[in-house]
This record gives sequence, structure tokens and C-alpha cells, in this order.
Amino acid sequence: MITVKDLYKSFDDLKVLNGISTQIDAGEKISIIGPSGSGKSTFLRCLNLLDEPDSGEIWFEDQLITDPKTDVNKVREQMGMVFQNFNLFANKTVLENITLAPVLLKLKSKEEAYENALKLLGRVGLASKADSYPSSLSGGQKQRIAIVRSLAMNPKVMLFDEPTSALDPEMVGEVLDVIKELAHEGMTMVIVTHEMGFAREVSTRVLFIDEGIIMEENKPEELFSSPKTKRLQDFLSKVL
Amino acid sequence: MNDLGTRFYNAFIAKERYMLYLEGLGLTISISITAGIIGIILGVILALMRLSEPKKGRKRTILCTISTAYSDVIRGTPSVLQLLIMWFVIFSSSKNGFLVAALSFGINSGAYVSEIIRAGILAVDKGQMEAGLSLGLTKAQTMKQIILPQAVKNVLPPIGNEFITLIKETAIVGYVSLSDLTRVANQVSSRTYDAFMPLIGAAIVYFVIIKILTLLLGKLERNLRKSDNR
Repeated sequence: MITVKDLYKSFDDLKVLNGISTQIDAGEKISIIGPSGSGKSTFLRCLNLLDEPDSGEIWFEDQLITDPKTDVNKVREQMGMVFQNFNLFANKTVLENITLAPVLLKLKSKEEAYENALKLLGRVGLASKADSYPSSLSGGQKQRIAIVRSLAMNPKVMLFDEPTSALDPEMVGEVLDVIKELAHEGMTMVIVTHEMGFAREVSTRVLFIDEGIIMEENKPEELFSSPKTKRLQDFLSKVL
Repeated sequence: MNDLGTRFYNAFIAKERYMLYLEGLGLTISISITAGIIGIILGVILALMRLSEPKKGRKRTILCTISTAYSDVIRGTPSVLQLLIMWFVIFSSSKNGFLVAALSFGINSGAYVSEIIRAGILAVDKGQMEAGLSLGLTKAQTMKQIILPQAVKNVLPPIGNEFITLIKETAIVGYVSLSDLTRVANQVSSRTYDAFMPLIGAAIVYFVIIKILTLLLGKLERNLRKSDNR
């Protein structure tokens, strides 16, 4: 579904990605782990071109999206993204947050979009918040709504950028539960996370990124129980 | 001081002088409003020009350079001089002092308003733009639906301040022979040989107008903040 070839990215003099290549198939759940500053978030943000790579290729379903001629907006419609800081639109109600893009991009009529939004909100247990503004919600509620907002676009893949890192500990569970449910339904997803237990439980494959390259990748059981590189051993000994 | 009543009478009532003040006040207000509207329109355009994103490999856009140069020139020269140049040089053949003055103040105000609006847009969390883009919206759509409405709340207090400054700044239109409130007061004082009454009177009128404006702005601001629930 997504093929990445030799991705490089630097911010001014700081080299962040130093040649990342990988392939993500439909239905896979990829967790990306690694120390902070290793480039894992940048890699994720390159996948929907929120960060533009300096060189390298990204293919999304037979389309070279790093080609300047590609309509980036059309590509992004099919890739949902969930941010660490939720980024709900502060000037819109919950319902408007969810329906804005599908209606504006003419994917759904207003009525369809509203109906769909309420159904999705019901699934995450927040139907009663439809008319609230984001500022009145807790972090966990905001993040569940952010996930719903992405889902309302019927994306083919979901990108999660540390979805639980900005949450109070007691709210992490409710957000992870929603993501787990999505995973069980077969959604293709890429998750940058510090929740090792979650990565182990949900992912089909784990990528360990350090110094801008994929140092090690494997099925979660093997990667966590018998890490091969010294780097990963050190990393795991600190976080587990 | 028992002639205070006479002085008041001479300054404001005699020969229906209060009509002069009222007309002067009318001019002050209409120049301010016209210039304010021009300033806000120019300010938004200049701010968007300033924030336009360069193509890869370029440092800044041509639009950005133009906008910066505009602000530099306007903010680097006295507004009295700008008014005189507009009246005696650029529009020297025009007889419509009102329009020239309003345009001059509008152009001046636009430079300051653009800085305010630019800061207001930049103060909106950049995650808001990223969220819009990640959903497949274009930059322009996200700007219109998400960023600008939030920026309005940020810029309202400083724009109000700018408008208040503008009202007071119009007191220099006497330089191009327009009879605004300040000039009228000055003329009356030279006719009656009494500066105290007309000048203090004009000052009080300015003060009252601006006080009312400040109160209205505060109310509007509080209404806009209601959706924030803070």
C-alpha cells in the first residue's frame, strides 16, 4: 500500500532521516519506536507530506506522491492523521470538526456527514458532546474525537503521531482502546508510540528507528524478546 | 472667574459656533471610519502577502518583499509628511481633500494593521493548519475556515487600539485645510482670543468618543470569547 524508498530529510543542518526504505502492506499495523529525536515522527509526517522529504520516493497505491505534480490534497484525503496535541479546530464544535472536511470536499452531503458523524461519535461514546467546543473536553475525549474526525473521511490508512503522549495517565487507556478496536477491524495503520505494551499487543510489525534509519524491524514478539542490535537492547532496557 | 459663563458662551454658543464643532466632529469621524476600512482591507491583503510561502529553494516571495517594503516606508516616515505628499504631490490636481486624507490615513493605517494581523495569524497554533491539511483541505480552505476566524479574536483588541490611534491622528488634517474638530477649535480660539474653552472642549469630545469606543470593543471582545469557554 505504501512503499518508501531511500528517504532523506534534514532541517537546516540537522539531518533527521538518513535513508529510510520500507514497505507497508494493506492491513498491517506498524508501530514505530525509538528514542526522542530519532526521526520517527518526521518519518510519519513525510508519509502524508506534512514534512516534505529532501530526496527519496514515497509510493501510495501505485502513485508516486513525492512527485511535485501529484495533487497532495487528494492523497491526504485518503490518509487519516492523529496528532499528539489533538489539533481539534478550536473555533468549531465537535460535530463541525468531524463534518467540515467531508462536506467542504464534497464527499458527502451535509445530512450524510452529520448522520455519519453521530454514528461514529456513538461508537466512541461521545455522542452527547456533539455540540460542545473542544476547549470544554478532556484530553482523552479530544483525542477520541480527533480519531473520529479522521475516520469520517474513510481513509485507507491511519497515521498516529504519539497519540497518547500528551494525555494524563488515566486517559491513555480509553484512547488506546479505540485504536485497538480499529486495528481489529482491519484498518491499516502506522503508529509512532512510546507505549511498548501497546506496540507489542497490537502491531503486526515494529520498526525501531534511530539516527534517522530503521535500525531493526521485526514481529513484536521477536523484536521485544530478542533484540539483535546493541542500540535496541539499550533502548529497551531503558523503557521496559 | 465670573466671566466663565461668557467665555463658554463665546466659545460654543455665539454665532451658532456649536454647528462648527459638530461639522468638525462629523469630518473627524467620517475620515476615521473611511480610513479605518481602507486600513483593514489593505492590512489583510498585506498580511497574507507577507505570509505567502516561497517555492522550494527561495527565501521569500516577491509578494512578501513588496509587503515588507510597504510597511518599512510607511512606518519610517511621519504621517503628517505622508498626508502633505499625498495632497501636494501625488494628488495635487485633486480638489477632494476628504478622499485624499482618508486614503492617506488608510494607507498609513494599513501598514500597522498588517503587522497586527500577521501576528494574529501566527499566534494561531500551527497544529490547526496541519490538521486541516491532513484532512485533505487546501491551505486556502483551512485559512478561511479555521485560521482567520481564530485570528480575528487575537487581533480585535490591538485593531481597536489602532483605530483609536487613527482617530487622534486625523487631528492633523488641518494641514491640508480640512476643518476637523481640532482645526475648528483652533480657529474659534484665534477668533475669540480665548484658547482655553475651545481646546479643552475639543479634548473632552475626543476623550468621550474614545472612551465609548473602548467600552464597545471590550463588550464585543467578551462576546467573541464565549465559544472559548475559558
